[in-house]
Amino acid sequence: MLDAEDLAAYAATCGELAPRYTQTSHPDYQAPPTIATSLSPGQRMPIGFPKIAGLGMDAGKAVCSMKPIRPGVTITGKSHMHDIYTKTGRSGRMVFFVIRMELFDPQGDQLAWADTSVVIREKPQS
Amino acid sequence: MTISRIEDVQFGEELPVFDPDTSLDNVKRFAVAAGWNRPRFTDHEAARAEGLPGALVPGIMSQGFLAAMIHRWAPDAEVQLVDTVFRAPVVVDLQYHINGVVTDIDEEEKLIEIDLTLTNDADETRVFGTAKVLIG
Repeated sequence: MLDAEDLAAYAATCGELAPRYTQTSHPDYQAPPTIATSLSPGQRMPIGFPKIAGLGMDAGKAVCSMKPIRPGVTITGKSHMHDIYTKTGRSGRMVFFVIRMELFDPQGDQLAWADTSVVIREKPQS
Repeated sequence: MTISRIEDVQFGEELPVFDPDTSLDNVKRFAVAAGWNRPRFTDHEAARAEGLPGALVPGIMSQGFLAAMIHRWAPDAEVQLVDTVFRAPVVVDLQYHINGVVTDIDEEEKLIEIDLTLTNDADETRVFGTAKVLIG
């Protein structure tokens, strides 16, 4: 459940000026459209997923907003491994994992999805 | 000038440049509000101890800057998708600039696409993204 004041602070610090994101008393008050990427699943990788040796970094985030997310509403997030692919460059192979989290309201309607891309640069074999 | 109707949007139109507030105080307020209150975002010394160039602006905040920039240009626009690639760290207390350009207009669906780039004072790209936006 998201707190109205926290959402307003989130929006204002990002530079939002639209009252529907910054004023909690606005009749259409809602979370800023990128809020879904800030919500972290407790378990990121699937249970039993193999570990890849290397340096992991956040490569990017995508967020799709389908319906407004309002404060005070219980939200359920479901995460899955959405994509895995590799790129090979001069410095070796990089493995990209895309983890998608889907958010639903209590009626089961999807509110948003958010992808987090993690890249792991494989350690060169000695 | 702000935009409220898709008929007013021009292909290739550049959005007004937005210089986001990346001061330590502002990033701290964001980190607390987002539940991401970690030293690597709020403490330069702690971040340097992790091998970082300084405290970092969280990627989710950079993404929030992009959406805010769109709303400053088109206050009633509905930002449906923001796809962001983090190319290099965005360091707290340094100056950054965000540019945006309209790259596609679908008048039937009232959807536009915008390419967005966050650069530093040396004009080096730190973050870039694409947004799909519904306008009037």
